[in-house]
Amino acid sequence: MKDAAITLHINGEEHKLNVAVNRTLLEVLRDQLGMTETKYGCGTGECGACTVLVDDRAINSCLALAATMDGKRITTAAGFAHFGELNHIQQAFNDEAAIQCGYCTPGMIVKTASLLAKNPDPTEHEIRHALEGNICRCTGYEKIVKAVQKAARTAPGRTVKADAACQEVAQ
Amino acid sequence: MSSRILPDFDLLLPKSLAEAVELLATHGQRITVMAGGTDVLVAMKFTQSPEYVMSLDGIPGLGYVVFDAAKGLRIGAKATIADLLAQPEVKQHYPALWHAAEIFATGQVRNTATVLGNLLRASPAGDCSCAIYAIGGKLILQRTDGRREVDIDDFWLSYGVTAREPDELAIELVLPPPAIGARSAFKRMTRTNDDLSKLNVAVQLEMLGNTCVEARFAMGCVAPTPLRLRNTEALLKGREITAELLARLVESVPSEISPIDDKRSTAEYRRQVSGVLLKRAIEEACSAA
Amino acid sequence: MNAETIVGTSAQRVDVKDKATGQALYAADIQLPGMLYGKVVRCWEHAHARVVRLDLSQAAKSPGVVKVLGPADVTRNKYNSSVMDLMVSAQLHDMLGDIDDQDIFTTHVKYQGDAICGIIAKSEEAAERAAAKVIVEYEPLPVYLTAEASKQPDAVQFTPQKPGNRAFQLPEAMFPGNALGGGDVDAAMQDADIVVEDVFYVPKQKQCQMEPHAYIAKLDNAGRLTCWTSSQMPKLVQAKLAKLFELPMSRVKINATVIGGGFGARLGMISEPQACAMAMAVPGHPVKLQTLREEDWAISPSRHPGKYWMKIGLRKDGTPLACDARFENYKGAYYLDASGTAFTAGAWLGGMYKFPALRYKGESYFTNQGLTGAFRGYGNPQTNFALEQLIDRACAQVGADPVEWRKKWHKGVGDDGWCPGVTYPSCALDECLDRGAAAIDWAAKRRKYANQTGTKRRGVGCAVMNHTSGAMPMLLEHTVCTVKINEDATAEVVFACSDMGQGSHTALKQIAAETLGFPFGDVQLANPGSDAGFDIGAHASRTIYVGGAAVKAACEDAKRQLFARASEALQVPADQLDIRDKKIFAKSDPARSIDVESITRAGVYHFIDPMTGKPEGAPGQIQGYVSFFAPHNSPPFGASFAEVEVDTETGEVRVLELVNAHDIGRAINPAAVEGQLEGGIQQGLGFVLSEETYYDSQGRMLNNSFTDYKMFGPSDMPKIKTILVENADPVGPFGAKSVGESGLVSPVGAVANAIYHALGIQFMEAPITPEKVLKGINEKGLGGARERARAC
Repeated sequence: MKDAAITLHINGEEHKLNVAVNRTLLEVLRDQLGMTETKYGCGTGECGACTVLVDDRAINSCLALAATMDGKRITTAAGFAHFGELNHIQQAFNDEAAIQCGYCTPGMIVKTASLLAKNPDPTEHEIRHALEGNICRCTGYEKIVKAVQKAARTAPGRTVKADAACQEVAQ
Repeated sequence: MSSRILPDFDLLLPKSLAEAVELLATHGQRITVMAGGTDVLVAMKFTQSPEYVMSLDGIPGLGYVVFDAAKGLRIGAKATIADLLAQPEVKQHYPALWHAAEIFATGQVRNTATVLGNLLRASPAGDCSCAIYAIGGKLILQRTDGRREVDIDDFWLSYGVTAREPDELAIELVLPPPAIGARSAFKRMTRTNDDLSKLNVAVQLEMLGNTCVEARFAMGCVAPTPLRLRNTEALLKGREITAELLARLVESVPSEISPIDDKRSTAEYRRQVSGVLLKRAIEEACSAA
Repeated sequence: MNAETIVGTSAQRVDVKDKATGQALYAADIQLPGMLYGKVVRCWEHAHARVVRLDLSQAAKSPGVVKVLGPADVTRNKYNSSVMDLMVSAQLHDMLGDIDDQDIFTTHVKYQGDAICGIIAKSEEAAERAAAKVIVEYEPLPVYLTAEASKQPDAVQFTPQKPGNRAFQLPEAMFPGNALGGGDVDAAMQDADIVVEDVFYVPKQKQCQMEPHAYIAKLDNAGRLTCWTSSQMPKLVQAKLAKLFELPMSRVKINATVIGGGFGARLGMISEPQACAMAMAVPGHPVKLQTLREEDWAISPSRHPGKYWMKIGLRKDGTPLACDARFENYKGAYYLDASGTAFTAGAWLGGMYKFPALRYKGESYFTNQGLTGAFRGYGNPQTNFALEQLIDRACAQVGADPVEWRKKWHKGVGDDGWCPGVTYPSCALDECLDRGAAAIDWAAKRRKYANQTGTKRRGVGCAVMNHTSGAMPMLLEHTVCTVKINEDATAEVVFACSDMGQGSHTALKQIAAETLGFPFGDVQLANPGSDAGFDIGAHASRTIYVGGAAVKAACEDAKRQLFARASEALQVPADQLDIRDKKIFAKSDPARSIDVESITRAGVYHFIDPMTGKPEGAPGQIQGYVSFFAPHNSPPFGASFAEVEVDTETGEVRVLELVNAHDIGRAINPAAVEGQLEGGIQQGLGFVLSEETYYDSQGRMLNNSFTDYKMFGPSDMPKIKTILVENADPVGPFGAKSVGESGLVSPVGAVANAIYHALGIQFMEAPITPEKVLKGINEKGLGGARERARAC
């Protein structure tokens, strides 16, 4: 087939779409749906600027065919904020001055959400290992690591932390 | 030069294994099979322009990683590197593979790329490929008229080429159950931590006391495909591991490999450090017991 | 104690919510009605060739194609995508020999990626498919990858204007003997007890800003060309495009988009000429041009690679006598700013130590490598790599501690800075060295690591640097700023200098609020691109030092007008008034006060009192304005300390800790300043250990992707410590000096010197890869050289 009719659940909203089969999820999000918060950085799965959650797993949307995503739940960085109110991860990136040019930021925030969903209390080593797929050229990662640590500390329902980020994703 | 846009192709989305092998029987070489897609889609952004891309996405039941003490580890065609890491038995019984998986590419790629895809890519640099080669195992290939098993030792034919026929689908990898006294370790060298290996090595040893009964060494980035270091293995088999013997192993490795200069390192450097890396892997395997 | 309440705090960044939610609009994110898509067809097969046949007919017939453009379909005017020519006087321009040698679409390919033709189509995919149908035949030409190759007498000439393919050398008229410096170097070298010299190679490092270059251009029905670009310099791009397309500046508008990192990659123009040429072919339709990562790699200038020869002479007591140096850089295919780095590499050299005799020669040669141009540091890491290693080698020979030697012999207040005759107004490098040394435990570790024998060996090293705050007096330093006071006593600051992500607009807003005496939240700062007054743009670490001074001056102008009206109302002389929380009051009697809003409202809504027939308050909306020229360049200083561990069996170097102690004058926003120094460390470590763009013998890039070009990632980074040494500069706004570029410079020398300390071996080629380290160990051994390195 050359086109596929798919349904994507993006940031809690259902989208019925017809996509050309050679379109990546990144292209569909950006060009077809105008959701430009997910960025093109390299197109080859190296930089992580296009990271989104697909059913809670962080992936590079530049290396995923949208046509194979039928029925999937997709979360982008915009999905974490509600009418201008930042979630705890975004707030932590703000508080720790972890955002400079901002181009890597949406991917970083998505990746952080997936890390904290699996590992609510990561060590610094685990944070750095988890962020290897997200290139930042501005910060030297120092303040980003601090932001992830702060996000872990300030996660809502810290005691039932395992599900915190997942719930956010689901919302 | 790559493109921001993928080339035109026809997407095949079989809903069953039977349908998939039927499609392979019909279209054969005109199909590029895609599991995770992290290699296939990059290749398509550069040079490859297949007529058909067959995604395994719609086929149920191939995402398993199952351990059985008697039968070993079975890994389905759709199991990702992350799926592998989610199995505690892998860490316990196949530490070389677990370690190779843990540092494999990046988190996003581990969530997408499949273990079998790494073998099918037939790259000499594949980290999981290297570990699996040392551990040993067999691939199950399916076509319309049945299945066959190919030993991992016979799987890679040359750079990018495997024993899989165009009408076959690799559906499962089976690793042998851990032998008594088995130890394994994986080590690699990279420019930075998210890089592809410039050199990797995995060792699988069966130890009886301090004596090595059985040894398999696999090394990557030193030949067109992952390479078994059979001569060096022979030096160790049946012997007690001593500093002197390890020094002989270090000397032996360069004569078995044929590395080249490439983007990540030089032939000269790879030759110089290949023995050291093997020695360190053996030491790690022994100390981890 | 500082009296300020907003300056000096880590105020929340103005753009953070947009960026955290992904709502910030970078050029590629902008969608406009009727948008078409452009694609530049580039030559990927050759690095040097002539186009002998270009057939666009098949591409033109491809579905969705609107127009195809070859060299004959666009202006034949040549241009220079750099902006150096606009920053110097006509006289200096001629003396430096700046030329325009670039074409929108070329018939003489000079590097891999040179632009051949353009496609305009209804979708990106249609443009892409059509591009594949363009037929180009080339006649290959010899490929020159180094200066040594391109300067050969029989080499193909890149441009008739530059014989011998020498793009630039320091001009005799300004620099006698084509050399920067002074004193009798040859005689001084004769007097030296110790002479150390070597030839270094410095790498072609890439900025790797995360946002690939993207543009939108549109020629509207009124004949005005608008370009949406992330250039660091909207005003100069306006001037450049106006000249190229022979339009009055009033018909060229630049919209400054959010910038996804610059580091020099957006200095001047990149593909604005191609984007605009396409837009001009389809009036009324916006054309979007997005680049691939590899394309961005090819077409945007990198750091200048090349050979750096250096020799220094000292007395045996350590007294520096002479420094002789020559940097021959591989300029790449086009001229751009060939005069820039060739000069500045020597300027940083001259500004560092008290060498009574100095001779530096800088030359740029055309090569068929990709372009070179601005990259954070601008010649400084190259100099640091050579100079700081030679200093440590000399210290080992004279038995001096590298920190003590540097404290004794670095230049300071009253000495000439990088520009002869312009002296340092402030310097806190000693404090940087002291605090940095304490942070890394210098003395103890130098001793501790003196006699290692194991496989893994550690070392600590230090290096220092000087930089600049703006480029006065060599280049124009002019910024126009207006501040409009609204009737509700809030302020809008307008200014055309881009925030590349470093947070400069937040810091500038802090300066504005502090100066006006308004709350931070009551000040807006906008960069409307070319609609604002003149500004040179964001380069040379000038945005806070020069731009901040301009914002301060414009706000002072507004405040002066407010005080004049308050003085009238309160009957208190203006010089006896103060402002706080938007209330102006008499210093001697704070109860005598007036709300700013009562002044500003009366100025805008200026009515005649119907009862008295007299006007209410003073008329007119208050606007502050300045056309500001920087009076100085107050250089910042920095000291870096590195601890490394070298695996002597594999040559692998692990950086364990890096301390960046910087004399930044005053931190307007400390968190942002730290961010600059931390990010700089990542780029400095890349320069010295891992980053280089390299080519095959035919000039084709081998590693123009993040797969093959490796930067330090989060788990590669060492433990980092940044130390802000605040010693207010007498010139800079609120005492601030620059910080934008300097963070990456001295980590380069510090790491190289730490490796020297660990192994007793120096490495002359950057990046110092494990391959080079192991080769060095095999060739030189770990014994012989150690004693010298251990001398202290």
